[in-house]
Amino acid sequence: MKIDSEAIKELAALLEETGLTEIEVADGDKGIRVSKGGGAIVAAAGAPASMPSDPTVPQQANISAPDTTAHSHPGAVTSPMVGTSYMAQEPGAPAFVKKGDSVNAGDTLMIIEAMKVMNPIKAEKGGTLTQILVEDGQPVEFGDVLMVIE
Amino acid sequence: MFKKILIANRGEIALRIIRACKEMGVETVAVHSTADATSMAVRLADESVCIGPPQSKDSYLNIPAILSAAALTGAEAVHPGYGFLSENAQFARMVEEHGFTFIGPTPEHIEQMGDKVMAKQTVKALGLPVVPGSDGGVETAEEGQKIAQDMGLPVIIKAASGGGGKGMQVVEDINDFAELFNRARTEAKANFGDDTVYIEKFLKDPKHIEIQVFGDTHGNAIHLGERDCSVQRRHQKLVEEAPSPVLSEDLRQEIGSLAAKTVRDMGYRGAGTIEFLYEDGKFYFMEMNTRIQVEHPVTEMITGIDLIAEQIRVASGEKLSVNVDRLRFRGHAIEIRINAEDPESFIPSPGKITQFHAPGGLGVRFDSAIYAGYSIPPYYDSMVGKLIVHGRNREECIRRLKRAIRETVIEGIKTTLPLHEWILQQEAFLSGEYSIKWLEKQLSER
Repeated sequence: MKIDSEAIKELAALLEETGLTEIEVADGDKGIRVSKGGGAIVAAAGAPASMPSDPTVPQQANISAPDTTAHSHPGAVTSPMVGTSYMAQEPGAPAFVKKGDSVNAGDTLMIIEAMKVMNPIKAEKGGTLTQILVEDGQPVEFGDVLMVIE
Repeated sequence: MFKKILIANRGEIALRIIRACKEMGVETVAVHSTADATSMAVRLADESVCIGPPQSKDSYLNIPAILSAAALTGAEAVHPGYGFLSENAQFARMVEEHGFTFIGPTPEHIEQMGDKVMAKQTVKALGLPVVPGSDGGVETAEEGQKIAQDMGLPVIIKAASGGGGKGMQVVEDINDFAELFNRARTEAKANFGDDTVYIEKFLKDPKHIEIQVFGDTHGNAIHLGERDCSVQRRHQKLVEEAPSPVLSEDLRQEIGSLAAKTVRDMGYRGAGTIEFLYEDGKFYFMEMNTRIQVEHPVTEMITGIDLIAEQIRVASGEKLSVNVDRLRFRGHAIEIRINAEDPESFIPSPGKITQFHAPGGLGVRFDSAIYAGYSIPPYYDSMVGKLIVHGRNREECIRRLKRAIRETVIEGIKTTLPLHEWILQQEAFLSGEYSIKWLEKQLSER
């Protein structure tokens, strides 16, 4: 997730200056809320309750914020489980795949580790790997888009 | 106190737990299926993790996914809510093995009380009165029939690994015994994976009265009074109230003390409910639920105690915060469970809620995760909310509840609110005398 640290610094300075305890700015479905007094700095997306619910756009602080345009791509490889992404067989080894590679059905694209068990994620069909949306060590949840094969 | 708790549940109870956590400054992680991505619990939690597709077995019952989510988010404890994995001893064990605290009793106690035959034997040995019945599981229909004949009909055949009102067969005519016995075994196997059944005397016209109990890890054990949950349909509760309109103060203290003593003798930790059948001034132990219950709010309203916060406190090693000498039951509380069902046919009615207004005012509490624009997923139970009302006495409480029901607006789906309005007009309910058979008898005559 892209963290706009400049914006957060600006908001935090504004808090000090004005003596306010909380500032929230929103732009569409993305937003930042900065608050003082016990609460950590939180990047929350959207206002609660009264917004119409659109199930395809996640509106809460996720472990990972996937690229939502890739979500609906027919070649999207989505995570079948909760765990940690590993892009190579072991630390220091070359990555299984890189952007632009041609992959066949059954090729191992990456590993998701959960509770010390390594689960290989394999391509369901062949094609060109046009996007890799996760990094080594990144936590993922069920349904996150990992890569796109076209 | 924990820094972060993962809530392994959904709907109104997930929201309930999140509320208690927020008040205590504890961070929250909501795990959810894809169908619940826009639920209120997910929106209000500090973090959320999608753990699977809509089906419960792949999400809310998915132990590895839940444990992974706990590890990834750095949660320290897991609150299982009610239903789902809350009484799954294996889950409790795995949570602890992975270094998290399970907010509930020990896996051993979950197992002990989960086996309904063992539970009965345990509490009987500790001095609780039990329903007369077979001494343990019954192997054959012949053996069962003899027991039934000796006890006198009617009898009820229950699954040892069952509970929650599921998989039970009532035998009124001895000629039906063998067939119903075998049906009970088959259903027990299918529903609970274990075909062990036991037999109990089927009481004539009892009330369902349960006692809220609590134990901590410092040897303290208390009871927080009773709840009368006799308004039921197919063994599912629809209305609950505290205190029970039929119990005298003496009886309340007597059964409450017995229940508290049982918890103390067991060394039970956390919240629990001991369910009894009550008839002619006598209590008969039915089962013990080793979790927080749906109807916990009525106890909260008459005691002023936050039971979820208490669960969390006890789990983090603190002493029970309840001063038994200063505990007072104030007034009367009634809860109605509002289901997304046709109020006459009970056919489920999932869909989008187009308009929603929760009732308010003095003594009115609405525990629900719905909001205007929310679509109720069809994959889970049909309860959309609980309306809980408190008054200084039962009459005031009923008047207030009637007003609150009429004020409630839930449009776009059908709900059982009209049924509740009807129940509150019936003489049997107003007198407080209604038994567990009352509502179904009324419905079958309508």
